[in-house]
Amino acid sequence: MSSARGSATRDEKLAGSVPAEAMIAGSPSAGERELERELLVNMGPQHPSTHGVLRVIVRLNGENVVECRPDIGYLHRCFEKICEEWNYLQIGALSDRNDYIASLANEFAYYTALERLVGIEVPERADFIRVIMAELQRISSHLVWYGTFALDLGATTPFLWAFREREVLLDLFEAATGARLTYNFFRPGGVRNDLPAGFDREVKKFLEVMEQRIGEYDKILTGNRIFVARTKGVATLTAAEAVAYGASGPTLRGSGVDWDLRRDAPYSVYDRFQFEVCTAPEGDCLARYHVRMNEIRQSIRIVRQALEGLPEGDFRGKTPKAIRPKGEVYMRTESPRGEIGVYLRGEGGPGPYRLKWRSPSFVHLQLLPLVGPRGLKVADLVAFIGSIDIVLGEVDR
Amino acid sequence: MWASLAEQVRLQFETWGLPEWSFSLANSLFKALVILHFILLSVLFLVWLERKVCARFQNRLGPMRVGRPHGWLQTLADVLKLLVKEDIIPESADRWLFRLAPVLVFVPSMMLFVVIPFGPGMAVYSLDVGLLYLVAVTSISVLGLIMAGWGSNNKWSVLAAMRTAAEVITYEVPLALAVLGVAMLAGSLNLERIVEAQAGGRWFILVQPLGFVVYLIAMTAELRRTPFDLSEAESELVAGYNVEYSAMRWSFFMLAEFGALVGFSGVAVTLYLGGWHGPWLPPVAWFLLKTFGLILFIMWVRWTLPRIRIDQLMDLGWKFLIPVALVNIAVTGVYLVVM
Amino acid sequence: MGYLADKTVDVIRSTKSIGEGLGITFRNLFRPPITVQYPDERVKISSCFRGMPALLTNRETGELNCTACGICARACPLGIITMELGKDGKKRFPTSFSIDMSRCMVCNLCVEACPFEALGMSNRYELAETQHGSLVWDLDRLSRLGREHPASQVGQPARKGGEE
Repeated sequence: MSSARGSATRDEKLAGSVPAEAMIAGSPSAGERELERELLVNMGPQHPSTHGVLRVIVRLNGENVVECRPDIGYLHRCFEKICEEWNYLQIGALSDRNDYIASLANEFAYYTALERLVGIEVPERADFIRVIMAELQRISSHLVWYGTFALDLGATTPFLWAFREREVLLDLFEAATGARLTYNFFRPGGVRNDLPAGFDREVKKFLEVMEQRIGEYDKILTGNRIFVARTKGVATLTAAEAVAYGASGPTLRGSGVDWDLRRDAPYSVYDRFQFEVCTAPEGDCLARYHVRMNEIRQSIRIVRQALEGLPEGDFRGKTPKAIRPKGEVYMRTESPRGEIGVYLRGEGGPGPYRLKWRSPSFVHLQLLPLVGPRGLKVADLVAFIGSIDIVLGEVDR
Repeated sequence: MWASLAEQVRLQFETWGLPEWSFSLANSLFKALVILHFILLSVLFLVWLERKVCARFQNRLGPMRVGRPHGWLQTLADVLKLLVKEDIIPESADRWLFRLAPVLVFVPSMMLFVVIPFGPGMAVYSLDVGLLYLVAVTSISVLGLIMAGWGSNNKWSVLAAMRTAAEVITYEVPLALAVLGVAMLAGSLNLERIVEAQAGGRWFILVQPLGFVVYLIAMTAELRRTPFDLSEAESELVAGYNVEYSAMRWSFFMLAEFGALVGFSGVAVTLYLGGWHGPWLPPVAWFLLKTFGLILFIMWVRWTLPRIRIDQLMDLGWKFLIPVALVNIAVTGVYLVVM
Repeated sequence: MGYLADKTVDVIRSTKSIGEGLGITFRNLFRPPITVQYPDERVKISSCFRGMPALLTNRETGELNCTACGICARACPLGIITMELGKDGKKRFPTSFSIDMSRCMVCNLCVEACPFEALGMSNRYELAETQHGSLVWDLDRLSRLGREHPASQVGQPARKGGEE
């Protein structure tokens, strides 16, 4: 350890003496002269606001982002390969682990795909239960997003409030499914068990509290001058770009594209409920924020309607003794984060020949290099990552 | 009381045949010790208070385990933990800067307390240019922060140090300008004179509301607390300028932060909220009550607001606070001439 | 003047919004805390809660329901259930049975597969052990767990829909 150190070596260290090309493959504009003024930093994989183990390689000029590239794969678990070994029922339990913030959304996508492939009829009651649970899941997922987004912007208190509400929801999930995070609740042709007695009363109680609390959320963040300044006009995404990059869900609707699979390609019994597809035209972080907040309200509406109209009957339909389908199917559903697509191909075995999982978070993360260099600051980059609501379990699979 | 006690001790020193400077030395040392203990004790209390207050805002309990009731010994346990933790200096750090930085951050926050009058005649040193001294002393700590950020040789801490420098230097200006209004009204830079000028409920906040708001905002920025906590924005910069620090070196930053919180709030109380004045209770109690009340308010703000961005921070400082502070000075000047 | 007027309106709006936020946090100061002080207090878990799997005992005979048929082992996605079959005349029982809890994902599939209601999801959720080897639960511990902890109500196979 030498004690005396020239300023030149220090500069070298800070500017990143490692050539940027070595770290960013195919970096186009990394001239050496520019490098001297720029700072190459690794945001993540251990960083508080990359929502897991995301690594973003960022080139900074002062506070301004010059270039940023996500480096993913730290949470890769070979989901699709494992699916080729397991049988159809076992994959249902595993699909929970993709988007672990909203695991029922994964099950919904997987089982609707499987049912289409095999041709299983789902009883009405089962469909209603599925919708109730999936929409409650959407609320709980958006609550996590709300909290972490606020946390990314430096407000700590909304985070704990959101988790306070989510805790009640998790208790409800526990009562219905037995688990709090990865439920394994859906089954081919329905759900594993019926809703417990008094479930609807508890849910209605929660929805009432939730409606009142959204008012509080609005007051502490939505109208707050600092919050608006931090999100308005930040990381703007035009409708054409959102479509071109394959964005879906709230990220797409936040750019003004009126597209929701629950309405435009209805699955399950979504065509029976009245709800609005929330859009906002601006395409900035604030627009995406408004879309998600409104979606919580719409989900409350859907759950209310589903509880009202919950029919009597079986919660699980007739299924063939052995599920060994042949053929292929592609099914997409609207998860809280966007479009989950499941491509399933069976060749008569106990498990699929191939399963391809399209996860919205993975797609949305690719917007980062596009939006990053548009005059974003470090703080804006964090805000943007927060606003597209990624779950690394789903990105890496 | 304070003065007569000191006089007695001085006479005692004379009877023992000790030279004059020995009394000055003993007197200064004693006062420094008292102030140091006051800071340490209030930081010990404030860290616990902050955690409790934050917890209650968030419907939590906060620390409950160490010390019943309500985990009041928690901070002490934390201090013990920090004392026995390994002191790590990164290999590539600039050792001298790295070691010096915590001291240089802590000392200015302690120096604030030299001129703050806790009660009538209870300032450590009743400096005639007290206000000027305050403004001067508060600008030193930024050096330590930059040294910490630069010396750590960590990219995140350098970013944080640059932010801190921009922030603290910017808000130095409106802070000084806001304080000027008070000096004009009181006609003195001596903090004790300023408090005396507020006797009888004529608190300067009543005639200087604009100045108080500017001071409060600038002070929050100087203290680098939310919504101005850009230098330690954990969701952006991992931890800030002190990211490489551990154990006692790290806790010195904490100490300095909370020490400065008490100091700045004390100054605010002195300048705007009537200092030690108040009915029934003894002056010191009033002073502490007001100071901790103000600290509670700052905590309340901290746990409510999101963080501002660096360019917005600069905008607010240069384009809003400084003009407002200048207007405040102009209005005060007109007021003084007319009245 | 237009600029100044706009600025003033902005300042007033900002102050109002921040004031409202402060009001909300202040109101929350008086809500009861929701913290559960974990080892001292515990959340009341639902009767449907499923924790780790356990071997169930027939209440009347006091014997295990398990016949060591191995269906659960085949249903388990991870293959962490092992057993050995013992025979006593016509009676079949497991001479050994183990579940590797270091890998169990508590998916409930073994319970659903079991035709004899020999497995159930107990409500035990504290799975930490001081030694790695203790994470593999053997016959003794699994059957004791089944006797001591109530099995989850939803853990039992749902036969209402039935299979063709």
